[in-house]
Amino acid sequence: MSTNRDDFGIAIRSALLQRGAGQKFSLFVFICLSILIFFLDSFPSRAMDISRSVINDSIYRVSMMSSSPFKFINLLKNKTVIHFNVRKENIELKNELEILRNKDFNLEFLASENKRLKEKLVSSTEKKYNYVTAKVIIDKNSPFLKSVILNRGTKSGSKKGMPVLDGNYLVGRIVETNYLSSRVLLLNDLNSRIPVTFGDIPVQAIMTGDGRDKPRLEYLPENFEPLEKETVFTSGKDGIFSPGIPVGKTLFEKESIKVKLFSDPNQLSYLNIILTDLSKKEIF
Amino acid sequence: MGFNVGNLRNKIGNLGPIFLLYFLSITEIDTQFSDLFEILSFNLQIIIIYYWVLRNPSVIGNGNIFFAGIINDVITGLPLGTSSLCYLVVSLVASYIKNVTVNVTLFTDWFTFLIAIFFSNLTYIILILNFSEYEYNYIELLYNSFFTFLFFPAFWVVFNFYKKIVYIKYDD
Repeated sequence: MSTNRDDFGIAIRSALLQRGAGQKFSLFVFICLSILIFFLDSFPSRAMDISRSVINDSIYRVSMMSSSPFKFINLLKNKTVIHFNVRKENIELKNELEILRNKDFNLEFLASENKRLKEKLVSSTEKKYNYVTAKVIIDKNSPFLKSVILNRGTKSGSKKGMPVLDGNYLVGRIVETNYLSSRVLLLNDLNSRIPVTFGDIPVQAIMTGDGRDKPRLEYLPENFEPLEKETVFTSGKDGIFSPGIPVGKTLFEKESIKVKLFSDPNQLSYLNIILTDLSKKEIF
Repeated sequence: MGFNVGNLRNKIGNLGPIFLLYFLSITEIDTQFSDLFEILSFNLQIIIIYYWVLRNPSVIGNGNIFFAGIINDVITGLPLGTSSLCYLVVSLVASYIKNVTVNVTLFTDWFTFLIAIFFSNLTYIILILNFSEYEYNYIELLYNSFFTFLFFPAFWVVFNFYKKIVYIKYDD
């Protein structure tokens, strides 16, 4: 029995301490180094923040360059698919245009009515967004974390917590900033929680990412029976996101209420970082 | 002191697995295929490390494993050192298995790979749960580990074939 234990000890010691041909350091040294780096990174300090920012920016640039040939191939593939779909799409668009023309008259009336009502109501939603456009430089799929890297950092005014839009639609918020880059936590990430509202009688809920493409709605009122295809907006209850940013449409899936996002999290290229003044707001 | 073609081929061949390891860590190319099948994702880096440390430790050094892990952490947004530590744990298990086994078969490698995956995931979970603010989906990890384990024999065959091309042909 003790011989077995000795053998195990010898084999482990050998695996940890032996240095193979051409290796300067043993496995043990690198394990210690990894643990040290992990703890330095886990307990924030100014020196580590600067180091991490420099490392991140450098690696993101190298990653962007090394990924560019594959991005180009993907782009070519997408362009080809679009080219072949254009005829079919044209017919569909013509039909859609006809429907929209019919709706236009009704819309004109509603727009003027809305304008009149807005003039009477001093609303915070009237504030124009101050934003900066950023390019997605890295979009690596991970089964665990759903995020993208943008080419704008603190140099361009990006700060942690700022909302990020794809056109007019919310896609996530900034969770990491470096001097030249930022990381956006997407709405479908497991760690994402956004207060939202939807329906004619506005219902408040929390939209929670679950790692899949469609986040789910939680903390709905008791005995609540929602309708499908209702537009979900940010409620602004967190004090970070402005109220009324469109997010997606409700749908039922696997006995839960989910949100089909307006913006596909896998197809992001250029995003707008909303430069909100976070100093006056509580980070959610 | 003459120019040795075999040696040159050997050296270039040795760079293949290192290149693949860094390539997977630094580029956007990933081994997640949720478009094809919702739960399909696996960790090719672990397979590369385990196979090459077990079969030929001089090909992928500890330093390369460490740096590939750091790069992976930066790209995926994990706390620095997490992937490095997980990869080094895989390397440790592979080194241990190499020290205690004599016969080399696909079956023994496959079976012992399960131990490497277990300890690597254990390290990952301990680090993420106790020292970071991330929430974690255990089911995703389970699927990822399952497919990593399932695909190991396929890559074992591919790497074996590669090794034969690189290391045997030049003796002809």
